[in-house]
Amino acid sequence: MSTRKASLTDKQTKNGTSKYVLERCASVNEYYDIAFKVMLLGDSAVGKTCILVRFKDGAFLGGNFIATVGIDFRNKVVDVDNLKVKLQIWDTAGQERFRSVTHAYYRDAQALLLLYDITNKPSFENIRAWLTETHEYAQKDVVIMLLGNKSDMAAERVVKTEEGEKLAKEYGVPFMETSAKTGVNVELAFLAIAKELKHRATEQPNEPKFQIHDYIESQKHKSGCCGLK
Amino acid sequence: MTIAEKNPQNCLSDWNGIMERDIQQEGEAQKVNVCDPPSESNPPAETLVTTFCLLGNHMFADTVEQKEARGTAVKKGGEENVDQSHCAANEQILDVEPHCNQAKKLETENSEDQNNASTNPADSECEDAAMDNDQSDSGEFVVTMLAKAKLEEQGIGLKGRSSPLLEAGTQESHGFMSHRDEDVMADSWRQHRKHVFVLSEAGKPIYSRYGSEEALSSTMGVMMALVSFVQSGDNIIRSVYSEEHIVVFLQKGPLVLVCVSSSRQSEEQLRAELLYVYYQIISMLTQASISRIFEHKKNYDLRRLLAGSEKILDGLLNLVDSDPSFLLAAVHCLPLASSLRESLSQTLQKAITPNLVFSILIAKNQLLTIVQEKTVIEDTRLEPADVHLLLNLIGASSAFQAGEIWTPICLPLFNPDCYFYAYISYLDPPECTVCLLLLSTDKEAFYAVADCKRKIEEAMVAQNSLSLIAKAQSYSVSQVGVSDLRHFMYKPFDVPDNYRQLTQFTSPEMEAPYSSEDEKMRLLDLYRFMHSRIHSTSRPLKLIYHVAERETLLAWVTSKFELYTCFSPLVTKACAITAITKLLRWIKKEEDRLFIRYPPKYSTTPNPSKSSRGSKSDQQDTTDNGFLSLL
Repeated sequence: MSTRKASLTDKQTKNGTSKYVLERCASVNEYYDIAFKVMLLGDSAVGKTCILVRFKDGAFLGGNFIATVGIDFRNKVVDVDNLKVKLQIWDTAGQERFRSVTHAYYRDAQALLLLYDITNKPSFENIRAWLTETHEYAQKDVVIMLLGNKSDMAAERVVKTEEGEKLAKEYGVPFMETSAKTGVNVELAFLAIAKELKHRATEQPNEPKFQIHDYIESQKHKSGCCGLK
Repeated sequence: MTIAEKNPQNCLSDWNGIMERDIQQEGEAQKVNVCDPPSESNPPAETLVTTFCLLGNHMFADTVEQKEARGTAVKKGGEENVDQSHCAANEQILDVEPHCNQAKKLETENSEDQNNASTNPADSECEDAAMDNDQSDSGEFVVTMLAKAKLEEQGIGLKGRSSPLLEAGTQESHGFMSHRDEDVMADSWRQHRKHVFVLSEAGKPIYSRYGSEEALSSTMGVMMALVSFVQSGDNIIRSVYSEEHIVVFLQKGPLVLVCVSSSRQSEEQLRAELLYVYYQIISMLTQASISRIFEHKKNYDLRRLLAGSEKILDGLLNLVDSDPSFLLAAVHCLPLASSLRESLSQTLQKAITPNLVFSILIAKNQLLTIVQEKTVIEDTRLEPADVHLLLNLIGASSAFQAGEIWTPICLPLFNPDCYFYAYISYLDPPECTVCLLLLSTDKEAFYAVADCKRKIEEAMVAQNSLSLIAKAQSYSVSQVGVSDLRHFMYKPFDVPDNYRQLTQFTSPEMEAPYSSEDEKMRLLDLYRFMHSRIHSTSRPLKLIYHVAERETLLAWVTSKFELYTCFSPLVTKACAITAITKLLRWIKKEEDRLFIRYPPKYSTTPNPSKSSRGSKSDQQDTTDNGFLSLL
């Protein structure tokens, strides 16, 4: 519990303090300006839940694999350019027996975070199949991001960073490697998604289009060292 | 040991062949008494002997190998059933008696047969031919599964279209699964009190409580050989008794469940536990889809579909061992002032949406209240076993409890062939003791159901219910005010009203001297023993006064209730009887608090009337439709 509290304080932004507390204490009346649905997808045991828990509570669920049952819906409010953006995140079960229930909620999602495990080749090879599925069930203009998780496990790596980059380029989706354990790029991934969705929703005709790729590239390293400290 | 290591492969690779030859030779052997110690070279005629030894060698310690082979008796279904269960029962009694030879015993023979009525809810399960629900989830699910299986079989890569997401069950293996990593050759593995194995009819391992299924595939092959051998003689293997262990078999559709137990539980109790395991698997996959999968592909590896669910089965088996609700086939509800329980029920009733059929409120893993949609309650009710499975699912799966979970779940006793969609959310994060469970028949209803939760949450905040629930707790036996009474379990049969109600039981906290885990288990074992005597198929009893080493127990079953009590060792028979009279009076006085007495009104009124109309009548129509489409 204490780690959770500590991490919440770490993440406080200038005017965000009370909102975090509010969210935890009174989820019924939490305050936000705009809400988006984000879905975490990928094979079983790639770390979908861990990424979410890292982002939401700043904690790492190490040591014990517990498969998500069905889909798990959670909220987190983030600040994007002084706007409270509520991310409603679907954490999905990777097992195929839950596929039909996952499919039913694809079309509600505005963004999909597609995860594979850099230490597990099949999980990477399945990404194409996942992308095929998203085309079939999700909205046409859904924001997709590819994440290679468990980047801290360098010794067991079997999927090269370049391979991930190549695949991402092929499908024209942003890509980064994350670690739920150390926190590298986790916050960035969600924030980039939040920014992109917010820009899309509030787009002014004369405003320059938000470039998610550029944003990620500019932020990657910075975030990396933040996460490691 | 050498035999166990050398032979399984041979035995497995061609046991089919051996079986065939064997049938002719051994033919109609109905009762198998194994007398020969295992020898290195067994002629085919002794296949069964060999298989026993193989199983014995693996499952039981080497030292008792020979004794065991001698003492082994096989029980099968069919004509000899009665006769044999008699023997077995006697054996068991003999077994037990020396243990308490200082004990005085008073047993009243049971003349009526009513005792058995409540025990095996399981067998009443309706084995409807699988209804053709091609449009339903399980149908569509099976089709994809099989399509995938076929592709894999042909070695075709799965790069193509239409959700060919290859799910390697082995991906799970590098998770951290303590029991899965166990060395199945180690003595410690054999020492486990109760092993449970699930395999398919093709002999493929599906689940093992301890150790990895792969490592146990030869052992499971031997088990399957036993099952098939007996089956080939038009018979069903039920159990194998040895001095230290009972091996109980249960065949359900294409699945074979095996329990190897050194606990002193009866065969019936162990079989009931296996049935819970079967139901838990059904609750995840449905009976229809399991039979369909195996119909199309006999050697399908069901672990692919159960991957990630081992924890749920592990959790169930731990619960079965530690929670008497499973033994009694009844649910335990949290004691609560009846006015508070009623107001909670009303809160649940007000937050409804089309296709919502059950609203269940749980605190500290015990039931607070259940509300059922009217069309549902009229022809059926929620069975205790289904509630147990739901509670286990909640306990086993929500380790990080902040979110709102939406998952398909089948209630096997309600309908083994279709899914409900369960919404699970805690109302008091971060403590997470009060859990709301809403069951809908509509896969797409998440948002509507989540909205019900919001309404319930608001109403509970307004009524300050959460803090009232937080104060509720299980009671101490001292509140009964009967000295010498240490613990009891009381399960009433007399439901107060004319509709069928959820079977419940009440029991105080286990307090000193039963505060340590070991002591709790010891008391539960005593209860299990009493239960097995009361419900014995060959010689059921109505009243048992049992003086054990460190306590005295009295179990009593009537047409109105089933009662198990535990007293300090120095109590006298007369004292115990008086105490029970006092106890029954106390329970009568407190029953409004101890049990869910009056199920929610809206589901019991004969015609939908008065409160919260408007949407209500629409709702019933849609629910009805939802239901029909499911069936």
